[in-house]
Formats: sequence, C-alpha cells, structure tokens
Amino acid sequence: MRTIFATLAVLILAVLPVAAPWLQFVLTLAIAKGFAALGVAVLLRAGLISIGHAMFFAASAYGVAFLARAGIHDFGLLLILSVLAGALVGAVAGSFLVRYRAIFFAMLNLAVSMVFYALCAKLYSVTGGTDGMPVPVPAVFGIVFAEPVFKNVLFYLSLGLMVLVGVSVQRYLNSPLGHALSAVHTNEIRLEYLGIPVWAVLLIAYVISAALAGLGGAIAGFAIGRVVPDFAFWTASGHLVLIAVLGGIGGVPGAFIGALFLELLHSAAVTVTDSWNLIVGITLIVVIMFMPQGVYGLFARREVSSL
Amino acid sequence: MAFKGISIVVARCLSSLELLFGLHRGLSQANLRLVADGLAGALAIGVAAATPAAAQEKPGSLGLGIFTFTSGPAAAYGMPGKNAADLIIEEINAKGGIEGVPVRATYVDEAQGAQGVIAEYRRLAADAQNQVMVAALSSANCLALAPLAEQLEVPTVGWNCDTHQLLIDGKRKYVFRPNGNTVPEFIAYAIYLLDRKPDVKTVAIINPDYAFGHDAAKIFTAALKALKPDVEIVAELYPKLGSPNYQTEISRLATARPDVVFSNLWGADLENFVRQAAPRGIFTSSQVILALGETVLQRVPLPDGVIVGVLGDGWWMSPDAKANPETAKFAERYKARFGEYPVFPSIKMANTLIYVKAAYKAAMQKNGGKWPTRAELADAMKGSKVATLTGTAQTRADNDGLVDQIVGVTVKTSGQQFPVIGDMVRYKGESLMPQAGQDPFAWISTLKPEFAKSLPKPGSYK
Repeated sequence: MRTIFATLAVLILAVLPVAAPWLQFVLTLAIAKGFAALGVAVLLRAGLISIGHAMFFAASAYGVAFLARAGIHDFGLLLILSVLAGALVGAVAGSFLVRYRAIFFAMLNLAVSMVFYALCAKLYSVTGGTDGMPVPVPAVFGIVFAEPVFKNVLFYLSLGLMVLVGVSVQRYLNSPLGHALSAVHTNEIRLEYLGIPVWAVLLIAYVISAALAGLGGAIAGFAIGRVVPDFAFWTASGHLVLIAVLGGIGGVPGAFIGALFLELLHSAAVTVTDSWNLIVGITLIVVIMFMPQGVYGLFARREVSSL
Repeated sequence: MAFKGISIVVARCLSSLELLFGLHRGLSQANLRLVADGLAGALAIGVAAATPAAAQEKPGSLGLGIFTFTSGPAAAYGMPGKNAADLIIEEINAKGGIEGVPVRATYVDEAQGAQGVIAEYRRLAADAQNQVMVAALSSANCLALAPLAEQLEVPTVGWNCDTHQLLIDGKRKYVFRPNGNTVPEFIAYAIYLLDRKPDVKTVAIINPDYAFGHDAAKIFTAALKALKPDVEIVAELYPKLGSPNYQTEISRLATARPDVVFSNLWGADLENFVRQAAPRGIFTSSQVILALGETVLQRVPLPDGVIVGVLGDGWWMSPDAKANPETAKFAERYKARFGEYPVFPSIKMANTLIYVKAAYKAAMQKNGGKWPTRAELADAMKGSKVATLTGTAQTRADNDGLVDQIVGVTVKTSGQQFPVIGDMVRYKGESLMPQAGQDPFAWISTLKPEFAKSLPKPGSYK
C-alpha cells in the first residue's frame, strides 16, 4: 500500500511540470528544501532541534558557485564536491555542537549559522555581498545543455535523487545507528552504559544531516542560478524546521510532503494577496492545531490502523 | 480559472478530511481520494495556467508583471513605486489603454526573496498575455531574473535596480534599464561636491551594509580620487540595513570631523539618521551629501545646504518637469490620492511604464499595426529614445539607459512647506557613463580634473 502511494506520488510529480511548466521551478525548489528539511528531521529524531541548518544549505550552494568560478563545469563533480563541502562544514561545526542538548544546541546552531551568514554578506569582494554570486549552467556528463533543457534535467535528477536518497535515509534510520538516535532522545545514559558512544552517534547523524542540507542547497543553487547570503539567514533555518515539523517527523516522506505543501501554499498565496504571509501563517496554525502528526501523519496513521 | 482550480482543491481536500476524521476510518479509499483529488486539482490549475493565448491578435487585456516591495522595510521605497504604477495605469486605461488594449498589472512582492520572485516570474511568464515584466527594485533580484528573462525571452524592464553589474557584459537581449546606473549616479555627486567645495580634504562615508552601499562608496571614492587625488577618506561606516539607532556611527563622525559626510542611506534608515544626526551638529560641522535625500524632503526637516539628488532626472519640480503639463498633472493627482507629492522612486516607475508604452507604439509602427510579439517589443526597446515625465530615456546598444543626473542643495522657498532642491545642475546622461563594454572602474580612474571643468556648473539648471 505504502509503495503504491509513494510511486503514484512520484509519478504525478514527474508529470506536473509537463502540464504547467512554471511549476517545475517551484517543485525543484521544494525537493531541494525537502532534502534540507530531511536533514533537520534526522536530528529531530534524537530530540535535537537545529535552527541553523540553512548554513549547510548555503555552504554547499556557495560551494557550487566558487567551484564554478574556479573552472569546474561538470554537474556531477560540482554536486558531489559541494555536498562534501556541506558535510565538511557539518563535521567541523558538529564536532563541538553535538556536546550540547535542548535549547543550547538550538541556540548554538543559530549562532554559528549567523556567523556564516555575516561572513557571506560582509566579505564583499569574495562573495559579492548581498548581490550574491552567479551559478552558471554546467555540463551534464560532458553534454552542454541549453538552460531550459538543463532545468528539466535538474528537475528529473532531483526527483530521482529524492527517491534514492530517501530510501537510503530510511535504511539508515532503521539501522542500529538510526535507532540509537531515538534512544538518545529517551535515555542517553542508558546508551552510554550499553557501550554505545553517544558523541559518535550524534556526530554521524549531524554530518549526514549537514550533507542532506548541502544536497538541497546545491540543487537550489543550480535551480535559482544565483547564490545570495539570504540562503543562510536564520529565517531560512526556521523555515526548514517548520517544513520538517509540518510534514511530520515520523518518516522520510514527511520532509518532502512538508516542503511541497509549503512551497505550493506560498505560490498560491502570493497570487491572491499582498498579505501572503498572513495566509501562510494561518494555514500553518491550522495544520499544527489539527494535525499534530504533520501532513504525513494523515497517511502514517491510516497505515497503522489498517494493519 | 486558477482560482476556480484552487477552490476545487480546497473543497475536495476538506471533504476528504471529513471522511478521515469522521466515521469512515475503516475505508482505505479515503486516503486515495485525498491524494487523487489533490493532484487532479493541481493538474487543473496547471493546465489552466499553461493555456497560451494568441499572440498576434489584439488581446482583451495586456498583462504586466510589476515587481516591487509591498511588505517589509523596503516597502518605504517600493510602495511609492507601486502607487505611481497604479496612477499611471489608471491614466493609460482612461485613455483606452496601450494602443487600444487595457492594461492589467499583477504586482509581485519582492520581500519574498529571490526564490519566490523567480517562481512568480516563471508563473507570470507562462501566461502569454503577460508580455512585459517591470522587474525589479532590488539589484539582487534583477541580477537573479536577468538570465531567466533571456531564457524565457520575456522583455524585462528594470525600474529601479541600478547596479552596474546588470548589463555589463552587453549580451542581454531582453533585459532593459531605462533608468540609470550606479556609475553616473554617484560620480555626479563627486563632481558637484568639488564644484561647490573645491578645497575639500577629508570625507567620511556612511552607507547601508549591502551591495548598493558598498558599490556607491567605491564609485564615489574612485571618482573623488581621480578628480582630486589628495582627498582622504577618514571613515567608512556601514551600519546594518534597517537599524533604528545610529548614535555610535554619529559619534565616530563627530570625532573624525570630516569636511564632507556622504551617505546613500534610504527609507526609514535615512529618516532615523537625519533625526539623530541633526541635533548632534553633523549638518553644521560637515557638508552632508544625502544621495537619496529627495525621498525624505517631505518627511523630515532637512537643514539648508545639504547636497541631495534623485539618482537620475526624476525630480518632479525640476524646470523640465514643470514645463511638462503631464508631469504637473501627475504630481497633483499623486498628492490628492496619497497625501504626498511623488518622490523619485515614483517617477522612476512612472517613466518606466511610459517607456513600455512607447515600445508598444514603436513595435506596432514597425510591423504594420499588428499586435507585437514579445520579441518585437524587445526589438523596439533596443536603441529607443523615449520622452518621459522628467526628460528623455535613451537606450544604448548594451540596453543600458542614459538619463540625465540632477543634483542640487536643499533650500527653503515660500511655495512649499518642505525644503526643495535649489542651485541645481543637470548633467547629460552620456557624459557620465563609460562606453558600453568598458570596465567602469578603469574608466573612472582615467577621469581628469579638466573633465569636471567641461561639465555644467551648480546653479546652471534653472
């Protein structure tokens, strides 16, 4: 049942841009943010809220821009290197951040990400300040596409990656390493007594979540064609947490459902009124009040009851 | 059509939710219906949005996408633009529209950031009735939209983004800017300052901390150093955009005691700065230059003798503007509707829409009276020379606009309750612009004091 749903949903996503070409960009961006929100959701398993994941999103996006400036024009290489860059920043930041819990973890993540934001905005001669840096159209496996074709390729590649990475993360979460995360949440001391190093468990999770955010950032960079410091601003981090909570932290699809929901809602709201913030806000309140499990909770709960 | 689709989705989702929370818990089809309904609705919206309209026949209405800040702090600058657009479009439609076709504007809020702006641009561009985009206010958004405009082949007219990077490569076919460029805008102040105060030695700069502030400082400094090499920059301050408090910066300015304080703060930032700096004597101890000072003339009591300008020729009380009955009428209607006279962002928007209107006229003259395509419109904008409310906008081969620059100082008159601009100079647009394709900073460094001598003097524009 679950696989049928998932396949159906992915197929519909694949067809939507054919019907409405402008949706393609919105969907690409939603998938990109879905990756980043998935990263946040991984840490939420361990009860850790990161209000700073936009840093990894931006680090990777800037990675693409810098590598392209340095003369690398291969899409695959750019994607891999920039995700590694995101993961590297994650490893450095994570090495000291995973010692903290609860509000301290959230706030320190926020602080570090705002330092990163300030650097992006202030190092005017390096990063172009608030005007940002351009991301040129790269060659995909040696083939140079025109921009519209590349955007198609990017969309379907992201869709494929969404399935691939989604399945991998699901497997990770179901592995002992993944279950250890929930154990950190329930009783950390017991985990230590069992001989499992909590610090290592969390650091691995942190690096994975940073890499996921990085993957999202790289895709967003390619889709938007320009990287600006706003990518790393704290509201962007908050946005990611919101997506994760909104979609439901129960499973991998939640992050993507949340991202699609929020992006489509945003697109619909801005067409109606200048006060689009109000519409988005009210909808979020409604979802949080009446669907505490998130949008994905609707499906997940049904699964349980039909067993 | 799209609204109908949305409402169908909402209605169906709600009915499905009722099923979910209601008594039908055992039925697994309810889930399927929710998913299927949602997606069907989404497809319906998509199809409705993607249906193209015929291009060559005169459509029922002409769509314009207008990008400006309608929320957040930058709305202080964006709303005068939107207000002006409302007025001008109303005026155009009262006369039967552009070439007989009524104009319908869709406003897009730039406060949603580059991602949202791009998504909206794509959505509007997918509808063939939206033939021209007036985008955007923020330079970052213009830079992000420019490649998209080329890709989707939609004529895109920047109404306020001044960054010199926008058209620097000279390869843009669909991006136009009939409004000016940071290079002439800020060189003009350097020249005016040296004419008015030839013995200036020390200069302090206080600009907002983002690309516009840094670019302006760089251009102004480069021009001063080229025209008077012994000028020293004693302080460069970049307060955060949107700060409410400038006391620290004002203390720095007070201790540095520069001959000149240059600033391109704008909006509420500028009002705050002026209110806090005036009591501490900054305006008496130094010659202050407020590059965007005209926008606050009607709001804060600026002392006499402050050098202000309009980043172009968009001063509604300039001699040229006063001689044009259209401009006078526009200013009066603006005052009647919004309680204030237009500021230069309003004029920039109005002039941009006049530019678009002129492009339609030219394109239809060229193709024998048929309704123009997007490509024909872009073609008509290329190299065009359009009479605006306050002067002319000449489009160069690289699509950048040449507009004159008006600079002056604040003076009190009996005619208005607020200070106006006096002792004005009007520099010709082409005289302050580097050639197309030339690196602007390389060009500025070649300027000589003799160059400034060849230009009109303060007070010559009456």
